[in-house]
Amino acid sequence: MKPRVQLKLTAIAAAIAALSTGAIAQTMGPGGESPTLASEVTLTDAEVQQIKGMDATAALLWHTSSDFVNAVTAGAEDEFKRLGIEVVATTDAGFDSAKQMSDIETVMAKSPSIILALPLDPTTSAQAFKSAVDAGVKIVLLSNVPSGYVQGKDYVGIVTDDLFQMGKQAADALAESIGGKGKVAWIFHDAQYYVTNQRDNAFKQTIESDYPDIEIVAEAGIADPARAEEIANALITKNPDLDGIYVTWAEPAEGVLAALRAAGNTTTKIVALDLSEPLALDMVNDGNVVALTADKAYELGRTMATVGAYGLIDKPAPAFSVAPAITVTKENVADGWKQSLNREPPQSVIDAMK
Amino acid sequence: MAAKLAAFKAVDPSRYIVYVGFILILIGFSIVLRDDGFLTTRNLLNIVQQTAPITVMAVGMVFVLTAGEIDLSIGPIVAVSALISAIVLRENFWFLGAFAGLLAGAAIGAMNGLLVAYMRLPSFLVTLATMGFLAGVARWLTDLKSVPITNDTFNGIFGAGTLFGVPSLVMWTIGIVFLGHFFYRDSRYGAHVHAIGDSPLSARAVGIKVDRVRFSVMVLSGACAGLAGLLYSGRLHGARYTLGETDLLTVIAAVIVGGTRLNGGVGTVVGALIGSLLMGLLNNGLILMGLSVSEQLMVRGVILLAAIALTLRETRT
Repeated sequence: MKPRVQLKLTAIAAAIAALSTGAIAQTMGPGGESPTLASEVTLTDAEVQQIKGMDATAALLWHTSSDFVNAVTAGAEDEFKRLGIEVVATTDAGFDSAKQMSDIETVMAKSPSIILALPLDPTTSAQAFKSAVDAGVKIVLLSNVPSGYVQGKDYVGIVTDDLFQMGKQAADALAESIGGKGKVAWIFHDAQYYVTNQRDNAFKQTIESDYPDIEIVAEAGIADPARAEEIANALITKNPDLDGIYVTWAEPAEGVLAALRAAGNTTTKIVALDLSEPLALDMVNDGNVVALTADKAYELGRTMATVGAYGLIDKPAPAFSVAPAITVTKENVADGWKQSLNREPPQSVIDAMK
Repeated sequence: MAAKLAAFKAVDPSRYIVYVGFILILIGFSIVLRDDGFLTTRNLLNIVQQTAPITVMAVGMVFVLTAGEIDLSIGPIVAVSALISAIVLRENFWFLGAFAGLLAGAAIGAMNGLLVAYMRLPSFLVTLATMGFLAGVARWLTDLKSVPITNDTFNGIFGAGTLFGVPSLVMWTIGIVFLGHFFYRDSRYGAHVHAIGDSPLSARAVGIKVDRVRFSVMVLSGACAGLAGLLYSGRLHGARYTLGETDLLTVIAAVIVGGTRLNGGVGTVVGALIGSLLMGLLNNGLILMGLSVSEQLMVRGVILLAAIALTLRETRT
């Protein structure tokens, strides 16, 4: 079969699969797994009762600390509480693979039944998680999977946010705000990191394929979010007529916003991923920020806990579950906060909306 | 009796504060976490294994600080050495991979040493600059990609292997601390390092080759960071550009808490080991206590502050 024909058939098959599951085709698992909607991951009352009688425990081994991680933790903890599972440890690896391995070894002293974690790097995580796999812990992975790990044997399932949709919706929102034409800059995460790489590329791909009148005139990678402001300064100096800027996540976007403000620029639009109080406040006050795309992080945490519970009772779990993405603008900021982080927006944002 | 009393009075209590603090924290965790697996052999060995790279770097740092210098570039040296050894190991014998990683660390240390000792530039600024440069090299070497290590011998020697039932990382810790302690306390080289830290002018006046010793401590620190890179990559079965990124402050804290003076002349290798184990002990115990990440950071900060305050206060008196 010719490669192009084969490609088309694969695409059709993927589209059919997407339609049948009701999910978005573009966000595929790290191993090409088809997505299952998070809302389809549920337990029956009988299963809940069975799990409650198991005296199970769980550990949350996160890669970093952030608003997103807090929301995932809250979702997971609420679900674990409902299932009578005690959370015995929570860790933050600070994006350090070696620290993540140490965290896993340390937590194994408490023999948790379930581990929820985001493996930092497929290569080094394979060894890092080995002690937990060998001990038969039910591992649920957030977004990333260690090299060579097999679903159902080494881990129960992967849960992620709809990364492609987050990038795509950011592109759509920016395009709409500048009338579908103009010059934009793309500030991406300059690291080998599945989550941000997928989102950043989805933005770029959408602009290039769906918006022929929008040109990406500048690209800049950031490794250290603290340096975003100086990178943005250079971008603005070189391209004073930018219509819009995409920023890979909220923290560097705050630096970009500061740079625009310092330059007295009120016309260049910003879209960024994830919710943040300073950005939302600027958006509500009709500043540079026009939209923030976010995932339903609380729902993601709930789903991870439920997938872990699937593992406890040997219920076949979906290989790859996806929590949906949402675009938050001035119009739906309160609802967006609730849907993403399961709480009200910060007081400053509520006050600014009045 | 009087002689015994005089000897007892001559003992400097500042040197033992960190040991007492360490034992108190160990006892505290043992009581609080008695049902949480803290006191199991496996967990205690974990602490030693997890801190092995920090301990190795801390030994190098004791020499550097005692000589009145500092090495801020150890973090990215870890990553560069680990990546170079992983690349060499793709097609070579384990020894070549290990040698290449160690050589890379020592060579970077030599570059620092040349600038510090012979160009007379301050080590703080030199290593601040090389820290940034090397972080770029680590990212550029493999274009941010991790490199897996499948050489079982290498992974055994530098990672999860054992010898007579003792984990190799524990052996490395004991070996490096023993060697470091011997050379620091009982060799002519150690005496020269102390003398330079106390007073470079006096050291030069009595014929010590001050530049050569300064150069050598930077090489030693680079080589220790290189070895730490091998230990990390052996443990993880792979190397990544982020390895060691957050280690600098942990190493300096371990060394200072251990009783080494930041401005030279005074130090202790065994104290650095205890400081390093203390850092690992705190990480381990606070996680097992089930505290949230924010609580862990706050409690660790307070305990470290108390330890440093005690060590430095006693040193001053």
